Amino acid sequence: MTPDPAVTPDTSPDSDDGTPLTFPKGLLGFPELTAFRLFEPKDAYPLKFLQSVEAQEVSFICVDPACVKKDYEVPLGEEEAEILHLESPEEALVLTLVVVPEDARKMTTNLAGPLVINVKTRTGFQIVLNSDKYPLRFPIIAQS
Amino acid sequence: MLVITRKPEQSIVIGGEVEVIVLGITKDGVRLGIKAPRSVQVHRREVFEAIAAENRAAVAAKVPIQDAAALLRTAQVRKPHIR
Repeated sequence: MTPDPAVTPDTSPDSDDGTPLTFPKGLLGFPELTAFRLFEPKDAYPLKFLQSVEAQEVSFICVDPACVKKDYEVPLGEEEAEILHLESPEEALVLTLVVVPEDARKMTTNLAGPLVINVKTRTGFQIVLNSDKYPLRFPIIAQS
Repeated sequence: MLVITRKPEQSIVIGGEVEVIVLGITKDGVRLGIKAPRSVQVHRREVFEAIAAENRAAVAAKVPIQDAAALLRTAQVRKPHIR
């Protein structure tokens, strides 16, 4: 699933009712944090902000990987599709976490551990991909 | 922890549906074969740990999100097809 960021409306699964996203297994390294809110702060496009409901100090910057790597696709296994109750690819929102170092030009995103979210059920999981093929630290600003 | 001695071509069965087979032993390591239903994810531990470490690194953004986004947008305008 690689929607063209130029034509895809920037939709947020954070609907008006304010229901947080549920990650039943948490994120790797944060298994106890299962509820997150996704924000699209003003002037932050294409970046988004994922904040833990349980621990306010834990928040992540994330991005729709299609915005930074056009041919990125998440191969979804049976387990993931089943746990997520995904009926069609359109129901899935894929986000990857962004690491922003002091020199922000060196920011990277983790293509080996994407978050896949069912926008209908508002449930998400962090998927583990083969890091030989999907870089853990993919530079999102081309270094010149 | 349960400790079992196995020889090449011997295996253990976990939970009735996962089988771990010792394929061979060399000086570099032990080759294991894993038979599991597709619904069971099998990964090297290092992969999990590396992703957990990246997650932890992603928590502490050193730069405001708007500044990072502005840099990214500028870079994309200059170079629309980032690889």
